[in-house]
Amino acid sequence: MSTIPEESKVQVIKEKKRYPYYIENPVEENRVERFLEAFAAVLKYTDYKPLLDSYCNSSAKCNRCAVTCPVFQVTHDPRDIPCYRTNLLLDTYKRYFTIGGWFKSRFTNTFELTEEIIDEMLDGFYRCTACRRCTRECPMGVDHGMITRLGRYILSLMGIVPKALQVSTREQLEGETHNTSQIPKAALLNTLEFLSEELKDMLGIEVEFPIDKMEREYVFFCAVSDYLLEPETLMGNAAVLYASGDWDKWTIGTCNYDGINYGLFYSDWHLENIIKQLIAEVDRLKGKNILIGECGHASRSAHDFVPVFSNGKPYPVFNFMEYTLQCIREGRIKLNRDIVTEKVTYHDPCNIARSGWIVDQPREILKSFVPDFVEMTPNGQDNYCCGGGGGLVSVDEIHDFRMNIAGKVKAEQIRRTGAEIVISPCANCKKQLKELVEHYDLPCQVMGIHDLILKAIEIPGAKSAAERKEEAAMFAM
Amino acid sequence: MEAWIDFAKGPLFAVTFLIMILGLARLLIIQLYNLIISKGGRLKNAPWKSILKDAATWFFPVKHLIKGTVIFSAFSFLFHIGVIIVPVFLADHIVLWENFLGANLPAIGQGLADFLTLFTIGCILVLLFMRIFVRRQRAMSKPMDYFLLVMVLFPFLSGYLASHPGSNPFTWESMMLVHLLSAEFLFVLIPFTKLAHIVLYFFDRISGLHWQLRPGAGDRVAKALFDEEARV
Repeated sequence: MSTIPEESKVQVIKEKKRYPYYIENPVEENRVERFLEAFAAVLKYTDYKPLLDSYCNSSAKCNRCAVTCPVFQVTHDPRDIPCYRTNLLLDTYKRYFTIGGWFKSRFTNTFELTEEIIDEMLDGFYRCTACRRCTRECPMGVDHGMITRLGRYILSLMGIVPKALQVSTREQLEGETHNTSQIPKAALLNTLEFLSEELKDMLGIEVEFPIDKMEREYVFFCAVSDYLLEPETLMGNAAVLYASGDWDKWTIGTCNYDGINYGLFYSDWHLENIIKQLIAEVDRLKGKNILIGECGHASRSAHDFVPVFSNGKPYPVFNFMEYTLQCIREGRIKLNRDIVTEKVTYHDPCNIARSGWIVDQPREILKSFVPDFVEMTPNGQDNYCCGGGGGLVSVDEIHDFRMNIAGKVKAEQIRRTGAEIVISPCANCKKQLKELVEHYDLPCQVMGIHDLILKAIEIPGAKSAAERKEEAAMFAM
Repeated sequence: MEAWIDFAKGPLFAVTFLIMILGLARLLIIQLYNLIISKGGRLKNAPWKSILKDAATWFFPVKHLIKGTVIFSAFSFLFHIGVIIVPVFLADHIVLWENFLGANLPAIGQGLADFLTLFTIGCILVLLFMRIFVRRQRAMSKPMDYFLLVMVLFPFLSGYLASHPGSNPFTWESMMLVHLLSAEFLFVLIPFTKLAHIVLYFFDRISGLHWQLRPGAGDRVAKALFDEEARV
């Protein structure tokens, strides 16, 4: 017989349902009032009001968004229809912040914001990966990704935000390390030293990573987790910079070396301040351009928001693949076509592909040295999210949701290609795809585009790609 | 009945049409104001090229239509062709435009007008049918979504019956009155319901511009709520 009183059981179940992710200080009281207070402040000081006015009067509820959403495609739950989720916020706006809504509420039993609706929002807004695939197919042009983000922003102002995101951004903005993975400067320097040694072993070249060099052409930021988890991507980046002859034109800053910006997913305040921190580092180093490593959301946040939050002329922002492609086109780096014999496919990270910014570049790079390249279907701007977008990949407690629901369509998409290597130039996508490969037992490995370039690059004076391949094969035996 | 028709054709038409125009103008001004004045210089940094390119694809959206909900999407698109062309370019309506606006628009032939009217009625019925019977769509629908479709159906159906006495079981006068009143009711509804997308659609399609956030706004929101620096 159970020793837990019935009342407590109910409470436990209710708590579990209320917050599907960990929250630092779960809000339990006056949530409706607090939500409306936060919403009012957002409307007063930001520019979202006309957007909401417009969307309220044009949302067609045609359901095209439903069929494009990888989450809905798996659950077929009406609550996962992007338009349904968007309308939770739009209905709240209409009821409490428009004259029409007020007028209607005087005469009819109209929409009321309740605790249950707040539960639905805090769950629904984090069941969306903010991939914005639905936005592309909305005939009315409703940006459901933007509304999801706004909903998350309002929730965050009342303290409802996944702990994983909050702790990371706090460390990035107020912590000693100023990065989301809490990597201290000493550890960064050690890692770079380690990467130099690895490059020496692998390529036979002596390189010392440029640290805090002034007035360089490029100041480099990657997803800081790459320093811990993706050394081959970073070595690939370094190999390209070395081979292209630009080794003395870039630098890594030690005051801020994290390109991650979770503000893009849930908060205007965090987004702006993290961007300003990034700009401050380039200012300090008197750099000329911002070069972002393999990370979709870091690239998008810098590319789209450095111009928004810059005082004066903004620094140009480049994704590393743009740089690499330029080097290939100019003949400054050479990639050996005989090295990669596996079937390779490419996953488009939503944050750089959905807008059409980085779609053709990686394909041109890959096709220049991968003989057996196969596309996913659909791909490019229409590609499916990995299932960990919008910051969800960092929220470990929703792992089951990411695997069984949000990432299922992607896993099937990868399986259909029959590829042995999945290229994903994004730290978040890489983590999610690696977990998917394991979860669905897919016969392939996931890596960054520069990991593959590292295998095939030919550098004058260094070991040849063929020689390296042979060494790697011997080592594997 | 004649007097009612004259009233509906005359002053009532003028008033309701004016309500529609002023209502839409209000929405247009608010949206333009917010884009130009509030966002100001930030608009020059916006990715105009990709936003406009994407918006342009929706004016002949074959590429989009084939990607999902093909039947519903195709009928929605075709429905809009009839709903724009017939009310504006029908020969009988041209007279109204000339009387009230002084505009001299070209008229479409009666055969084409009849075809487009029947086709639009068919499209409305298909859209209604799908809204009722497709589960995911029904789950999203509110009474207003049905109501507006039916309200658009009325002027088309009554207009067709009025101009085809052979198919009309009622008197010409009664049908014409229904036609006029339902169309005028629509005029009033347009600026206050989702039919306002006549104007707002163009702003929705470029709503990507709203990613040009207002600098400092996050700080002000935080200060207003917490009376101190933002919580991290």
